[in-house]
Amino acid sequence: MPASAPVLSPVTLLRLVIILTVLAVWEFLSHSGWLYRDVVPSLLAIGRALFDLLAHGEYYFNLAVTAGEVGTALLLGGTLGLIVGIVLGANRFLSRAFESYLYYLGPTPKIIFFPVMIMWFGVGPGSKIALGTLSCFFPVALSAAAGMRQIDKVLIRVGKSFRASTAQMVFKIYLPAMRHPIINGVRLGLGVALIGTLLAETKLSNKGIGFLIIQAYSIFDMPRMYAMLIVLFILSIGANSVVGRLGGLDSIKRS
Amino acid sequence: MTAPSPKPANADILVVDDVVVRFDTPDGPVTAVDHVSFGVRPGEFLSVIGPSGCGKSTLFNVIGGLLGHTSGVVSVCGETINSPHQSIGMVFQEESTFPWRSVTDNVAFPLELIGMPKAQRIERARHFIALVGLDGFENRYPNELSGGMRQRVSLARTLASEPKILLMDEPFAALDEQTRLLLGDKVLQIQQQLKQTTLLITHNITEAVQMSDRILVMTYRPGKVKRIVDIDLPRPRTSEIVGSEAFGRYVAQIWADLREEASRGMRDEEEHALHQTGAAS
Repeated sequence: MPASAPVLSPVTLLRLVIILTVLAVWEFLSHSGWLYRDVVPSLLAIGRALFDLLAHGEYYFNLAVTAGEVGTALLLGGTLGLIVGIVLGANRFLSRAFESYLYYLGPTPKIIFFPVMIMWFGVGPGSKIALGTLSCFFPVALSAAAGMRQIDKVLIRVGKSFRASTAQMVFKIYLPAMRHPIINGVRLGLGVALIGTLLAETKLSNKGIGFLIIQAYSIFDMPRMYAMLIVLFILSIGANSVVGRLGGLDSIKRS
Repeated sequence: MTAPSPKPANADILVVDDVVVRFDTPDGPVTAVDHVSFGVRPGEFLSVIGPSGCGKSTLFNVIGGLLGHTSGVVSVCGETINSPHQSIGMVFQEESTFPWRSVTDNVAFPLELIGMPKAQRIERARHFIALVGLDGFENRYPNELSGGMRQRVSLARTLASEPKILLMDEPFAALDEQTRLLLGDKVLQIQQQLKQTTLLITHNITEAVQMSDRILVMTYRPGKVKRIVDIDLPRPRTSEIVGSEAFGRYVAQIWADLREEASRGMRDEEEHALHQTGAAS
């Protein structure tokens, strides 16, 4: 081991310095009295709220509701997106007829459809799942369509020459050959499903994390609100890295 | 000038009878394969040689059942081919291993498709991996192998399906000359060992003479049979035969045939390019 190797790499060191600086400024602001009451609560207060939050079952119930909504949205939107993407990627005619709509609708903020979703699916989890599904569908469909077109054509000819059935072509050639774009699409899909679901919860709902955050805000319980934001932030990072890990493991073997 | 196509004999395992392939292009219909007839005998190594643009790759895809033809009949063991046939195993010119599968899983692919139990197909795959000389690389992935090794994986994969006819389209085209010669040795050795009926599509004269019992020379567009040459060289052969006098005579003879076609092709392409630049300016 080289003697010069520092315990902390410069990058880690810089990150630590930045985080500590932000925390210090935060704490200074909270004690300065420049801002209205709890707009910037002290770290201690946030810590206490965090402990309080995690010690009560109510939070976990709402967390489970949101996780269930996001999971269902990812499953529905992802599956639907995958199927549509594969069909569009495989068929030039359909792709020319419909794919431009995906590109138009893709960047549209899906929250504008929320009133419609409430009318169709009610104020409960149904409308949140619907919005999450809608958000998740587009990136997955577009990535799958692009991935389908990137497949090396000779691999398809190999499959055909060995007389693979349609199902065998899909599961043994198409899907493995496009796993990188698909995983990328699912990753993007997870992000927007999370955004869609939480946004919907903050607008109109009676349970879920988005509901709790807005509730805390409406009674001006800032430490609690910040505590929830922190937990949510950490959970999002975790979920994203799990999906990323799926793709990462594979890429070691590929090239 | 074209020699009359010989009537295919009944003993032939693969029969190509009066096959025509015509494509519609923006510039009008193009005949890629023009009334081609020939037969491949059991155990024989037949090469189809021709300049680029003679329709030999089209012929490869038609015999493999991946491409339809306009008229004529292709049949293997008496069965007419309209889609890929189990008796024909194709090896492609392009890199065609599955990057997400290990060498063993690549070779076992055709066996997996027919539902062979795992233990059995792995054993079979290992046999063919050893046959192409890749023992020790069973668990490697294609990106860990050289181009020549990957092409051997493709060959083993096709052989594992135990085709009656091995159909190859310039399988060594992307490799360097030395690898190509050595791989040619390997193919020859395997072909002689398995008595594998083989149809090789190539534009490389040395390769064709080195390996074949007969060589079919095609004309430049439209692709017709120009001549079929018997290669009367002793077997077993290796790449050493490349230095012999008889070998040189065959190469010269085929080059004389091919040269005319290749230069016609070249002129054609030059004219085409000239027209294009003329139209552009």
